[in-house]
Amino acid sequence: MTLRPLPSNICRFAGCTLTGALSVTTHVRDAITVVHGPQGCTHHNFSLLHATSLDNDRIALPPLVSTGLSETDVIFGGEGALDRTLDTVIARDPGAVFVLSTCIVDTIGDDVGMVCGAKAGVPVIVVPTAGFLGGSFQTGVNNALIALAGMAGPADRNGGVNIIGEKNLEYEVEENFAEVSRLLALLGLSVNIRFVHDLATDHIASLGAARLNILRDPSLIPVGESLKERFGTPYIPAYPVGISGTVAFLESVADTCGIDCRHAVEEEHTLRQQTLDDFADLAGAGISFTPLPPDPEGSRVAQDIAQAFRLDVTSSGCPVPVPVTPPVGIIGVRRLLHRWRRALHA
Amino acid sequence: MPECETPLWPCAMTGAAACLAGFEGISVVIHGSSGCYYYPATLLHAPLHGTFILENEVVFGSGDRLREVIGDLSGKGGRIAVITTCVPSVLGEDIKSMLDGTDVILVDSPGFAGELETGYRAALAVLAPTTDPERWGVNIDGVSLSDPFYEGNVQEVSRLLHCAGIPVGTVFCRDWSEMAGHAAPLTMGTNDDFASGVGKYLGGTLGIPALRATFENLSTAYEGADADPVLAELDVQEERVIHACDKYLRRYDPPGVAVFAGTAYALFAADTLKQYLDAEILAVGTRNDPLAAPAGQYPVEKLTGLEQVARKIAEVSPDLVIGSSFERSVSGDRTFVGIIPPLRGRVRLAHPPLAGTGGTLHFIEEVLNACMDKKT
Repeated sequence: MTLRPLPSNICRFAGCTLTGALSVTTHVRDAITVVHGPQGCTHHNFSLLHATSLDNDRIALPPLVSTGLSETDVIFGGEGALDRTLDTVIARDPGAVFVLSTCIVDTIGDDVGMVCGAKAGVPVIVVPTAGFLGGSFQTGVNNALIALAGMAGPADRNGGVNIIGEKNLEYEVEENFAEVSRLLALLGLSVNIRFVHDLATDHIASLGAARLNILRDPSLIPVGESLKERFGTPYIPAYPVGISGTVAFLESVADTCGIDCRHAVEEEHTLRQQTLDDFADLAGAGISFTPLPPDPEGSRVAQDIAQAFRLDVTSSGCPVPVPVTPPVGIIGVRRLLHRWRRALHA
Repeated sequence: MPECETPLWPCAMTGAAACLAGFEGISVVIHGSSGCYYYPATLLHAPLHGTFILENEVVFGSGDRLREVIGDLSGKGGRIAVITTCVPSVLGEDIKSMLDGTDVILVDSPGFAGELETGYRAALAVLAPTTDPERWGVNIDGVSLSDPFYEGNVQEVSRLLHCAGIPVGTVFCRDWSEMAGHAAPLTMGTNDDFASGVGKYLGGTLGIPALRATFENLSTAYEGADADPVLAELDVQEERVIHACDKYLRRYDPPGVAVFAGTAYALFAADTLKQYLDAEILAVGTRNDPLAAPAGQYPVEKLTGLEQVARKIAEVSPDLVIGSSFERSVSGDRTFVGIIPPLRGRVRLAHPPLAGTGGTLHFIEEVLNACMDKKT
């Protein structure tokens, strides 16, 4: 329950930087993430990651090690605890160690960079996070992606496409990836790496080899810009959403890569028409979006879909679900329409 | 506190929230960041409020924000309780004086102060519950919103007390807030890890032997109590347990078991499986520090991290793992039964107990069905 989420203070509810960063670093299979803070911060986040991982059929997570700050550490400084923890995890020879800090660590002023900078043997990557002191959930995601990109060097182009910043806590993360892969395949393109989703440390080296980066959504533009500056890789700012998004996406990717997309667009128009036919029975039904998604883009896309299928959106209409993030591609729209049809028939 | 790989137990702040949010009429405010708020809000399934402080409030003081939130809640009935998280706790602000003139309960329970039970006890101590010698009934304690079995436990022990002709006193901590100050003089427990220390303790209700002793104590301590119906029920239901376990043992060997839970539930599970199924208890790993050294016959050690648990499971190679879905995630194809949070990956709608007669029946039923499903 929140209290008076004033627009000026909307950032109060934008989530924890640490959680955002962990949603990235825990997808590097052979790395260990160290969370410098009290055990509770690690447990809270692990519990969330555990739940979402089970939803996505991902049973095991890579180790999350807490420095276990106690009251004494908080009073006298926690750098010693971090130093000891790093020695312990480095001895296990992981692919990399990611070090994330917490609110309390920034408050007491531990010099995390200094402690990590003194370590050798495996890459020790500091990801700037500090709970609410560090920004929002999305800040944590972006900081982690930029920090991990630092592990990649120059690479020869291999013609592939990188997927950047998938929402790893999203229930439909695999289905959304599959839809984007389907569209890329229509253009004869394949995925280079999913940065970062279920990845091994040494795969990160090929980050700069892609001809194009596709960002999950526009909140990752700072990451896209960083990668463009570092590797010269252009980017598409978002997955395709809604009924008309896929064609625009195909054209945009083809234009950036210098590919003829006429055949791919034709196929997509056919699928779009087939979808319109398959759900023609919904035309004229009254629906309402309650509650409205917090993201205005989600609301806009839902309105577009309703209009395309000639549904009447009225306040007295049948409440239908509207996802927090807009459906990805035509396939995502089809799944949403099945849910709307179920609601109308309930 | 040494480093810990993948800690499996919530912090003291969550424990304080689990205690206070159990009382109707108390509005609980988590004074800290959004990250600290969301975890207890999702774990406890209770309405919590938050101050959601930001960096400028850490630098310039969080008093205005705290007063803003309290102002929003004031006048809406009931008391307000503020739980401080790690950062406000070390900022050195005099939160108590900020709250002068308000009827606000302040619990300093930052995450670094310890684990779930530490915060639960700290919050209960601030509430300072008292007994009322005139109050009829027997209190039920050991109830924490963090426990997936708490509702079933309260229903089951309430039923047993009703069978004995005794009204329920105060339920710690799931009751109206004013009941904390008018508790009955006698208490029985559902989970000693969350013992209230209020009133004279009659005993626990986990497992049939404990139930028998507790209700025998009740019959002598409470004038007019008629424990005979409960004791008779225990005999009948225990016979059913014995019959079901005996039938299982006619076809199958008893399982080797590794149990991971809070101390009270872990020992209940181990004792029950040993007694009725002749199970070999290969390991008991507790999440928390036992209040007293367990006098059981099994190796008991505190295991707080997932890798420790995984190593223990690999070391003792049990047939059956009892724990949470954390344990299940590192148990491979072993048979699993869940008794502590989180219990992910299963639909749970009903409120089964672990305490009381029904608790033992439910637990044995789960174990036997899980073991037999694995065999077939």
